[in-house]
Amino acid sequence: MDLHAALSLGLPLGIGVAAIGSGIGLGLIGQGAMQAIGRQPEATAKIQLAMIIIAALAEALTIYAFVTMFLLKGKI
Amino acid sequence: MRGRAVTDMGLEFLARVRNTSTWLGGVIALMAATYAHPLVGLAFGAGVLWSLVNLQLLERAIVPLFGPARGTPEGTRRVGIALLGMLFLFAAGAVLLALLSPTALVSGFMLPLAVIVVKAATLILLDSRAWGGIVNHRWRAGLAALALAIVTWFALGALTNAGSQPAEHATVAPGESAGHATVAPGEGAGHATVAPGEGAGHATAEPEGEASEEKEEGFTNIIALLAGAFPHAAWAHFLEHYEILVFSLLIALILLVVAFLASRNPQLIPSGLQNGVEMVVEGLSGFFISIIGPKQGPRFVPFLGTLFIYILSMNLFGLIPFMHSPTASLNVTVALALTVFVYVQFIGFKELGPLGWLDHMLGSPRDLTGWLLAPIMLPIHILGELAKPISLSCRLFGNIFGEDMLLVAFASLGVTMLPFQQIPFGIPMHALFFPLALLGSALQAMVFTVLTSIYILLMLPHEHHDEHGHEAGAQHAH
Repeated sequence: MDLHAALSLGLPLGIGVAAIGSGIGLGLIGQGAMQAIGRQPEATAKIQLAMIIIAALAEALTIYAFVTMFLLKGKI
Repeated sequence: MRGRAVTDMGLEFLARVRNTSTWLGGVIALMAATYAHPLVGLAFGAGVLWSLVNLQLLERAIVPLFGPARGTPEGTRRVGIALLGMLFLFAAGAVLLALLSPTALVSGFMLPLAVIVVKAATLILLDSRAWGGIVNHRWRAGLAALALAIVTWFALGALTNAGSQPAEHATVAPGESAGHATVAPGEGAGHATVAPGEGAGHATAEPEGEASEEKEEGFTNIIALLAGAFPHAAWAHFLEHYEILVFSLLIALILLVVAFLASRNPQLIPSGLQNGVEMVVEGLSGFFISIIGPKQGPRFVPFLGTLFIYILSMNLFGLIPFMHSPTASLNVTVALALTVFVYVQFIGFKELGPLGWLDHMLGSPRDLTGWLLAPIMLPIHILGELAKPISLSCRLFGNIFGEDMLLVAFASLGVTMLPFQQIPFGIPMHALFFPLALLGSALQAMVFTVLTSIYILLMLPHEHHDEHGHEAGAQHAH
């Protein structure tokens, strides 16, 4: 397997794997936030803010994979 | 003026002609710029514009001559202004004829006249008895519409087939795999096309003449169009090279103008633009103060609010046709993140003092364990501080760039869905993802600024707050 084949196989796969992790993380974040809002609806605004920040942090991991793909795409 | 125009049948007809010609001319000019040469599209658009202005001036000149304002000084003045305008218009027309391709200019000039003829013909047709006979019966109307659609389909196919054979540019690459070229331009016209997500490198990298630099794929924007239209002009190259800077400065300029207009004549009871801007500013101010705290918060609202509005505008700018999101480039996001980094460190130095800043970096050691852990905490904190700008910039860039790529991919998919008739139309598949892009743009702007405000919050002195809870902590800040 040469570099081209490895890259063209690995880049999409890498994004997919990163997306799996981010997806699980986002699901857990959403679950926690929904439960918290359900228990304490008056704190919705605060919970939502924290949820969005943590969701952005979790989502960033996939974005890093995405950026890496675009950095390495020129070598294919 | 407008009230009379609505009552007057002829003027209303002219207004409708104007609307139709504007839309039609814009669409045809875009198509010409995409499928033929950008210059042809430019010339066609200029021709339509010239003709429309000509019609408008004619109307301006004729209405006072025959309307109720006839003979009054006001009417005479209007006629004079219109005639003067026509003089300038003819001079501009001569310049345009010398500069641009005359064929496209003349056909653009003919378009409003053609619209007038077609509209008049349809008016006559709509009043006629035969038309009424067709339309009033449901089955007959449906059959007629079906026949019309079929005839249009085949006529269009034959027309575009015939048109695309002799012209060496403007070939719609037929029936290739979906990822591949939608439009393979000839020379020169190089990057002025909707380049598809993948395989665009192979599709557009073929121009033989100039070995142009690597152009990232995306929707074509106004600067790329200009650069394609004037491939040998130095200013076009300059613009294309600094395209992102030009767009971000343009956005800054727009925001400046809006802010200036909104605050130029402040009223106690605001209305219109001032009202909207005040709403935005108050909302942002309340939002950031709720994060940082009522004591320290107001100081940082200008910086954070500016950041938010600027990033949001830059994110949304790419959704406007022929514009480009500056934040879809790593250069802009790194610049923003570096600004935030420097600002946060500056806040730390100013608020905590050099020793306090070092203390913060050491993890605020207060007991033996803390001092023992300090050598480990220092590199961790430094790495953490350095990671902040990287993550901020990469997140913003990745999200906006990915969003644009998604739109491009689906737009090119929509274009390649109808390859069998060689019709230069597509299905706007990407329209489904516009709401997603809007949401993502707003969310990413918010995430960037909220994280910035949290970094600022972490840098502010806050050690003694913990036992008092939030309200006491906010009170304690001075």
